[in-house]
Amino acid sequence: MRPSADAVVIGGGVVGAAIAYNLLKSGMKSVVLCEKSTFASGSTGRCGAGVREQWGAEHNIRLAKASIDMFEHLAEELGYDQDIEFKQKGYLILAHTEKEWDQFKKNVELQHRLGVNSMLLTPEEAKDIVPALNTEGMLGATYNSRDGHANPFHTTRAFLQAARRLGGDICFFTEVTAIELEAGKVKRVRTSRGDISSPVLVNAAGPWAAVVAKMVGVDLPVYTQRHQILVTEPVGWFLDPMVMSFSIGIYCQQTPHGSVVMGIGDPDEPKGYDTGHSWQFLREMASIVCRLLPVLRDVRVVRQWSGLYTMTPDAHPILGKVPGVDGYYQAVGFSGHGFMLAPVVGRLLSEMILGKQPFIDISGLDLGRFERGEYMVEPSVV
Amino acid sequence: MDLRIEDHPILSFPERKKVKFFWEGREVWGYEGEPVASALHAAGIKVLHKSLKLDHPRGFFCAIGNCSSCLVVIDGVPNVRACTAKLRAGMRVEMQRGAGPAPSDRE
Ligand SMILES: Cc1cc2nc3c(=O)[nH]c(=O)nc-3n(C[C@H](O)[C@H](O)[C@H](O)COP(=O)(O)OP(=O)(O)OC[C@H]3O[C@@H](n4cnc5c(N)ncnc54)[C@H](O)[C@@H]3O)c2cc1C
Repeated sequence: MRPSADAVVIGGGVVGAAIAYNLLKSGMKSVVLCEKSTFASGSTGRCGAGVREQWGAEHNIRLAKASIDMFEHLAEELGYDQDIEFKQKGYLILAHTEKEWDQFKKNVELQHRLGVNSMLLTPEEAKDIVPALNTEGMLGATYNSRDGHANPFHTTRAFLQAARRLGGDICFFTEVTAIELEAGKVKRVRTSRGDISSPVLVNAAGPWAAVVAKMVGVDLPVYTQRHQILVTEPVGWFLDPMVMSFSIGIYCQQTPHGSVVMGIGDPDEPKGYDTGHSWQFLREMASIVCRLLPVLRDVRVVRQWSGLYTMTPDAHPILGKVPGVDGYYQAVGFSGHGFMLAPVVGRLLSEMILGKQPFIDISGLDLGRFERGEYMVEPSVV
Repeated sequence: MDLRIEDHPILSFPERKKVKFFWEGREVWGYEGEPVASALHAAGIKVLHKSLKLDHPRGFFCAIGNCSSCLVVIDGVPNVRACTAKLRAGMRVEMQRGAGPAPSDRE
């Protein structure tokens, strides 16, 4: 590990990896990425890896749209020798209550205004897209064919390999333990493998973002919460889009390998760092998904696990600098959708750090918005 | 060709009922209740599954329901482990190609 750098990035999840790559690509010479474990060991390697433009709030739509533009050419841009398995077969979002159906109409209107080609479907039209779908009790659905999902391990690895090729120092099993400031400026980063002096520090520590922020005296209004997920044995192709419902709280997708990945959000899940898994989840998940996609009845589950969402008060990430701590930047609090935003956030953060004008205006996503009372509203989260 | 051991110095084999079943549409026989993989193996059928990515032949391997090397399609149900499924008369067993057929609404 180098003793000094132009920038230190904390976190080897997809967000940290994308930021490190973009800094190097934009000409920064010396970038060190510190990851306390191995790459994608945090939320990234545990996630559902869905990518969608179908959001209900402007920032999320704009960011996700730009991210999908980037995902479409990502493997190529990064010169990755394997497949990141980006599959664009859409998201089908189901409405089962009047309230969500009304909301979806508003969402689609907003999405259209921002250039997203989503559409409102009748239950019959939804069934044309997913013949296996049980449409009983369904009022309608929204669909957008540009949405999809990718492989989170390959995506992160692709960013990290490209960063290494550009001279980045990617250090696994290197935990940041303290940060030294001098006259309100980032000066030195202490790690389990020695110190690095650097004028720039990027907090991309995922669920541990608040711990890292504390090291520079910043309080983050975030909390972490377990989300459980499972994968089945591979089966023949039957599911094109990601199927999702907010009122039922489910998402379900079939990976190119044939396995089916699915999760549900549990509103009663306590806050904290528990990443265990439970039989209750298995039972609940199985019963919900078999009602929605009855053909999954005979398909076996091969593995279940969990990961952490890092939630902010308005389900939008916190991006950029913090007044009073020069050289400190953060890309945290992704509230369950940081995988899809990583490509665009990588670019935006590097633009901010290098003093350029970010190509999308994200000034409203700073930490200060909570003090200013400028909360965003995002109705569409699982 | 029959690969069954008829005489064994230690093990004895109780009388069992001979039944007919189908491998890829062809009639073969085995003993009722024995593992499907045993009956197939005894009949000289060793390629049971083609691998997911490269279409490589896969067959009888761990023999204890663990490894998914011997996955076959039985009566339309994919991902059945031939080594632990019990043979019944008239079963239709097919080689599984990759992930096999899409799950469907069978009653
Ligand atoms: C079950 C589940 C499903 C999800 N589904 C989706 C989805 O469909 N679509 C989507 O976009 N998002 C989804 N998410 C959210 C997504 O996983 C996260 O938003 C995203 O992975 C965040 O990436 P990250 O790089 O910020 O965090 P992480 O991947 O958690 O990376 C942070 C890294 O920082 C390291 N670190 C922390 N502290 C230190 C330290 N002091 N020193 C060194 N290293 C440190 C950690 O070890 C970790 O590897 C899901 C999450 C879960 C749990």
